[in-house]
Amino acid sequence: MSSLFGNILKGWTDYTKGIEEGGHHKYEHMWGMVIDLDKCTGCNACSVACYAENNIATVGEEKYKARQSMQWLRVERYFDEPDIDPGAIDDENAMQERGASFLPMMCQQCNAATCEPVCPVAATYHTPDGLNAQIYNRCIGSRYCANNCPYRLRVFNFYSYTDEDGAWPEPMKQQLNPDITVREKGVMEKCTFCIQRIRAAKDKAKMENRKVKDDEVKTACQQTCPTQAIMFGDLLNSESKVTQAWERQQVKLGKYKQDRENPKLRGYRVFEELNTDPSVLYLERVREE
Amino acid sequence: MSQSKLDRRQFLKGLGLGGAGVALAGCDLPSYVTLEQGEENVISYLAPDEYVIPGVGVWYASTCLGCAGGCSIHGRVREGRVLKLEGNPDSSVNMGRLCQMGQATLQSHFNPDRIANPLVRKNGSLVEASWDDALSLINEKANSGKAAWATGAISGHQRVVVETHLSAIGGSNHYAIEQINANVWQTACGDIIGDPNPEIHLDKAKVIFSLGADFLATFISPVHFAAHYGEFRSVPRGTLIQAEPAMSLTGGNADHWVGIKPGTETSLALGVANALMNKHGISGSGISNATKSLINEHDPATAASICDVPADRIEKIAASLAANSPSIVLAGGTATANANGYSAAAAALMLNQILGNIGVTITSGRELAYPQLGLIEGNSANLKDLAVDANKGKIDVLFVSGTNPLFLAPKSIKMDEGWNKIGFKVVLSSMLDETASAADVVLPLASSLEDWGSHIPAYSTGTRNLALQQPLMEPVFSNTRGFGDVVLGLAKQAGAPGLDEYDDYYGYLRSAISVLKKTDSEKEWNSFLMAGQTPVPSLGRKLSYIDGKISQTANTATDGGLTLIASARMGMWDGRGANLPWLQESPDQISKVVWDSWAELHPKTAKSLGIKDGDYVTIKSSNGEITTRAFIYKGIHPGAIAVPIGRGHSALGRYAKNNGVNPLFILDGGVDAKTGEIATAATRVEVKNAGKNKPLAKLMEIDRQHGRKLVATISADKQRITEGGT
Repeated sequence: MSSLFGNILKGWTDYTKGIEEGGHHKYEHMWGMVIDLDKCTGCNACSVACYAENNIATVGEEKYKARQSMQWLRVERYFDEPDIDPGAIDDENAMQERGASFLPMMCQQCNAATCEPVCPVAATYHTPDGLNAQIYNRCIGSRYCANNCPYRLRVFNFYSYTDEDGAWPEPMKQQLNPDITVREKGVMEKCTFCIQRIRAAKDKAKMENRKVKDDEVKTACQQTCPTQAIMFGDLLNSESKVTQAWERQQVKLGKYKQDRENPKLRGYRVFEELNTDPSVLYLERVREE
Repeated sequence: MSQSKLDRRQFLKGLGLGGAGVALAGCDLPSYVTLEQGEENVISYLAPDEYVIPGVGVWYASTCLGCAGGCSIHGRVREGRVLKLEGNPDSSVNMGRLCQMGQATLQSHFNPDRIANPLVRKNGSLVEASWDDALSLINEKANSGKAAWATGAISGHQRVVVETHLSAIGGSNHYAIEQINANVWQTACGDIIGDPNPEIHLDKAKVIFSLGADFLATFISPVHFAAHYGEFRSVPRGTLIQAEPAMSLTGGNADHWVGIKPGTETSLALGVANALMNKHGISGSGISNATKSLINEHDPATAASICDVPADRIEKIAASLAANSPSIVLAGGTATANANGYSAAAAALMLNQILGNIGVTITSGRELAYPQLGLIEGNSANLKDLAVDANKGKIDVLFVSGTNPLFLAPKSIKMDEGWNKIGFKVVLSSMLDETASAADVVLPLASSLEDWGSHIPAYSTGTRNLALQQPLMEPVFSNTRGFGDVVLGLAKQAGAPGLDEYDDYYGYLRSAISVLKKTDSEKEWNSFLMAGQTPVPSLGRKLSYIDGKISQTANTATDGGLTLIASARMGMWDGRGANLPWLQESPDQISKVVWDSWAELHPKTAKSLGIKDGDYVTIKSSNGEITTRAFIYKGIHPGAIAVPIGRGHSALGRYAKNNGVNPLFILDGGVDAKTGEIATAATRVEVKNAGKNKPLAKLMEIDRQHGRKLVATISADKQRITEGGT
């Protein structure tokens, strides 16, 4: 038990430090993402690729309606553009004058993650890769973490989906990815940044006695994206494309308010002001006025 | 079922393919399980078979058959099972990317509702039979009258064997049926610029003006165009203007979305041409006097009154096109799915001509040097022809594969009646869809991931490739057979000459490609399979411009009803995606609805009809009615109601059956005047509240951000200051 309390205390300490002294972590890698919302078409290829890669259960209409969907990556859609056209949506007789706004949301892999310190059993913790991880076999299903996630990006197995009338009736089971688990009833799960792909790349690099190369890890969503709107890589590697994109956008980790020289840059983090310190940088959607 | 022997090596040996170098596209790493206290390799390496090393995934190249786009894929095979599909980065079609339908192909392969054994109709119902019995029944009946084939889009050597079989049984009619197609646009391109499949350079355009062409989701080769759209959105950033009556995925990404009265797209194009000529001094070289006088009749104010788009927006479109060259104007989707469809496509090409885009953003494509291998795209005019010919008693024996005419056909064209007049119907399918359920013999096919084949992608630039399809694993259902194997067998059985030397379709395909590529070396063949594609000779075409063929006989009916738009979506597609739970649970891109159909209504229309979000509405045409739930939003013209195609199956499998409604059934049978394409956006309907309400299951309960910075937007002017571009 002492180690368990130790883990929980460590979670609190990390969280507090993350808030007070952002960017304090000593990571091996710091996996991060950049999503260009001007390129994202909202086509959903990423979301389905994620189902295929990560053994995500489908739940059917009624459970979906009850917000028990298991999707790790959802593509949100909004019809307003508060930044450039705040009044447009109020005229009930008008038609849309622009398209919609799409936002692919997966776990933001926060560095001061609000889900971590509330776990009573330390099932949710931070890896030395800067990932916000969920230890499935430690999870007792208190759901405190999901309750505390401001992004609503944790999904809970309210049911078992492994029965014959579940998500994978024979022979669909044969498609399940053996690199990762199939989660059972009562367990919280979430996006892992395709940790199995990260692990494979790290293992290969270790065997070849070198560092992981930029572009060596591709997440399933990034790989399939038809417009290549998603970029993924190591923010500790100064050569990586993500690092360069973050620098170009003058967005720094460990801050809840960016003091940028150029306020017109497109980079922003969703709910950055909550000081969750997310690892996903979005580039603003661009629209002709 | 053959789970006990999912061993690719054994299986390849069975095809004479043992030995080194077989289609090995690359390995990924052994999987380690990282325990908390350290790393431990939990998989032992016990004398592994080649390529079947426990824990090692091997990627094999093949081709996606989700639509006619023909994207090249890599499938990850581990312990004899295919686990994941990814785009092949070397493909000029999809450059390593895939859409959601491509990703979900795995679920049609591992589908629990696949047909496991041949079925033969006895005393009115389908019962299981042996292959020998089913084939001898076909042998007995196939020559008993006028024979025909119905397929979906088909190309490569599958097309050759189908046509060989058809002529061996004395038939001549091959109906290639695809409900979702670009036939009207392609016919217009062929007539007007002399190339039915020109290269479309979205990445070079500064403005895309699209009349209904949903190039990000349903137009010719969606993944290819989406990739080019990504370039188009890079610096310098292009502007997308989409005009359509109901918002498509492409419309959902538009800088300017123009909701237009259904069927009046030609007038909008003429209005834009008028503004370009009169306000921006564009000369209109190559335009005939007849067209010029049509343009003169459509000043923006007149066009505005016809198509219900404000005149100042028409002028704004013209100004944007005039100021940013080169541009590109496309027509497709809803714009071409009405009686004036061809006219809209012709008007789009006319705009390209006066804007100087032809030869710049629209350039000549290439034509296969072996036309008999070329793609027959398929269209819905053929669907109507099939119904008409069947009703006239012109078909006695029909073979069907890759299409589902009983689901796709509007009731008004009397496909069901025609079907019953066909004496003997054979369906080759992996799923028991509506058509297979009504067949006399059903032959169970291997899935697209278990089969051999060669395909010509619907669209590619530069060199033309023959995309190769190879099995990624042993058949999941052991008593199924490959499409090519079955048709080759049928052709041999019918006495087609010159096929006796081939034991199976693999042998046939390999010989055919050896002849095509002028090499029969094992090494070369393996290199083709590893690449998943191989270049084939092609000839350049030349573009010209022949003006004319624009007319506007708009459906201006004002009888108080609405125009039904049976909308095409990436996902369910023409209904083939409906039994794949990943696609059922993947929210529609615009409405975000899952697991059911919906009817899109404008708030103004909904209010006048007393309909609220989630109310069941009855949509009634002269050919029947459907009832589904309302989705109310402003991305639709107030004179239209849109219901997506793809759901409303009475068969196909547990996920598809009795889920949603099929708007195709109640179409009035109208067609595009020139091409005969079934007009899916032109049926007049009455809409009534059915008196029940149940909120739709959807991802987004809200449409607005309520001031939170979720999707932040920046104006393009500001973006140009920081990132450049003009």
